[in-house]
Amino acid sequence: MHRERLENALFRAGYLAILTFMLLPLAVVVVTSFAESGNLAFPPEHYSLVHYRTFVEETHWLLAFDNSLLVGVGTTIIATTLGVTAAFGHEIDDGRAGQVLAPLVLIPLLIPPIILGISMRVYFVRAGIGASYPSIILAHTLWATPLVYFVMRSVFSRFDWQLLDAAKDLGAGPIRSFVYAVLPNVKHGIFVGALLAFIISLQEFVMALFLSSRSTETIPVVAWTQIRQSLDPMVSVVSTFLIIISLIAIVIATIATNLDWLSKQLS
Amino acid sequence: MSEITLAGLEKRYGDTLAVEDVSVTIDDGELLCLLGPSGSGKSTTLRMLAGLETPTDGEIRIGDEDVTDRPAYERTTATVFQDWALFPHKTVLENVAFGLKMQGMGKDERREQAREMLERVRMGEYADDDPMNLSGGQKQRVALARSLAVNPDVLLLDEPLSNLDKRLSEDMQIELREIHAELEETFVHVTHDQDEAFTLADRIGIMADGTLVQVGEPNEVYENPKNRFIEGFLGDTNFVAGEVERTTADSVHVETELGREVVLPRTAGADGAAALAAGESVALSLRPEVLSIEPADAATFDGEADRTQPVRTDGSTTNAVVGTIENVLYRGSTIRYSVAVEDTSLFVERTVADSGAFDAGDEIRISWDGADVLAFRDDGSRVDL
Repeated sequence: MHRERLENALFRAGYLAILTFMLLPLAVVVVTSFAESGNLAFPPEHYSLVHYRTFVEETHWLLAFDNSLLVGVGTTIIATTLGVTAAFGHEIDDGRAGQVLAPLVLIPLLIPPIILGISMRVYFVRAGIGASYPSIILAHTLWATPLVYFVMRSVFSRFDWQLLDAAKDLGAGPIRSFVYAVLPNVKHGIFVGALLAFIISLQEFVMALFLSSRSTETIPVVAWTQIRQSLDPMVSVVSTFLIIISLIAIVIATIATNLDWLSKQLS
Repeated sequence: MSEITLAGLEKRYGDTLAVEDVSVTIDDGELLCLLGPSGSGKSTTLRMLAGLETPTDGEIRIGDEDVTDRPAYERTTATVFQDWALFPHKTVLENVAFGLKMQGMGKDERREQAREMLERVRMGEYADDDPMNLSGGQKQRVALARSLAVNPDVLLLDEPLSNLDKRLSEDMQIELREIHAELEETFVHVTHDQDEAFTLADRIGIMADGTLVQVGEPNEVYENPKNRFIEGFLGDTNFVAGEVERTTADSVHVETELGREVVLPRTAGADGAAALAAGESVALSLRPEVLSIEPADAATFDGEADRTQPVRTDGSTTNAVVGTIENVLYRGSTIRYSVAVEDTSLFVERTVADSGAFDAGDEIRISWDGADVLAFRDDGSRVDL
């Protein structure tokens, strides 16, 4: 008993150490964003908000934020729709097509993004959409859809499919039975899937690099070009914003998924 | 008019045949129970009736309409599911009003009707509750109200009582009967519980291995089973193996593993016995309720006399064996004795109220009238005696 507790404590301490070591760079990023000097150094000699002011004043960063947001939302909508409907279809008709679907959907995640980026650049130029918002959105969708799909497979596997039968039996057609019987019971899962798609799109860099033009650059792409010129704290400012956005998203997801659980605990 | 006709209904999943050539006509206002062990295809048949499964062959007609390819949401059937399938995110009232909402009824009107239906199943006070907080019996009532609210031509019940405890299930059986009598709608009720089927049904359809073996009124299928499966499935019985020794004009003599010859009388007009060849093996069904028992020493037992005794004018024969009680099993209102007879054993029953209980080791005489015995061929078909 005693020994077990000691082992537990040691395991936790070890786990925490590794986690801290891995997450510490994030703290460095945040701290360096408050540096006064123009060089990226840790720890900074003096602290100020000067780079935050520059960030707000520099239009190409704000444009990159807009671009990232646009690409992210577009990816989220398409990937969530495709992922949810694919998982739903697989669940209600587990035939031969379904057995092929799962590995097929996985393929984009197995191909190195640099190869995907180059081939899609060639492909989209041929297709006439070149380096544009749609091409980045489609590329990100290729990555985000499998993730949404697998999240939804697990969500649907816990769904009571008799509810769908009951809705149909009571006169709800295919769309209404989905909207009234399925959707309300899996909406948290869909939300988590959508959030995942958004974050994937927000941080994806390699494919975006190949598929963006000057006017459609997303944040990671701008950050990359910036760093290549000079390593200044502006990159840290942008990264801090990205970290904050991701954190907010995670908090929202946690609240959304546990809201029912939370209300049950409180009542 | 909601007479239902199933003609040559078949459902195949890949190589598995779940339902095979099911044909039956269910009268308007009838309560038909589909009874069978799990995996017999009864639920699949019901789901095809509901439109939740598409038959791979055959035809379903409700009234005068062919509904075989019509989806569930366009059929005038309503199903009560085994786990009730109440919508967890809706209140009890919203659950019951759902079907009416799908029919496009206005909010106030459908809530009013749903409330009335809840009152009818005595769940009115739970209208605003979360269905997940209800007990099994209450969920069952709500599910019933939800299905009845759409005023279906046919109500389909898929083992809705199997998840309730015995007492509650029996109460619900009586209530279902009352609701059926009141509504005069056609009900199809699927169950694996024969007591439930006998209590509820106007007619029972017995299913085994995907086929509908026999359809008939409860006493008819019990007393006049079509094959050995039904005889064994309904109630308890002793199957005794034997070989036909000889057939006379009015009787069949079977040499059995009980070590004695059993004489079965033949009814005039029945031709099954004529086809029985000497030496053909048969199984005899001795139900415990036709077996009488008495202490062996009190009996005036003469085996040879029994053997030669002819069929009496009322068509009965006396058969008897002596055995030793091996086990005594108390089953509440009855006592079951397992009796060793030669190389096999028979079980017999007595009600607790009967005087003179026996103990293990006692010798008893078991006798029966040959006319109460059913005989089955090796392939399970019944011999028409």
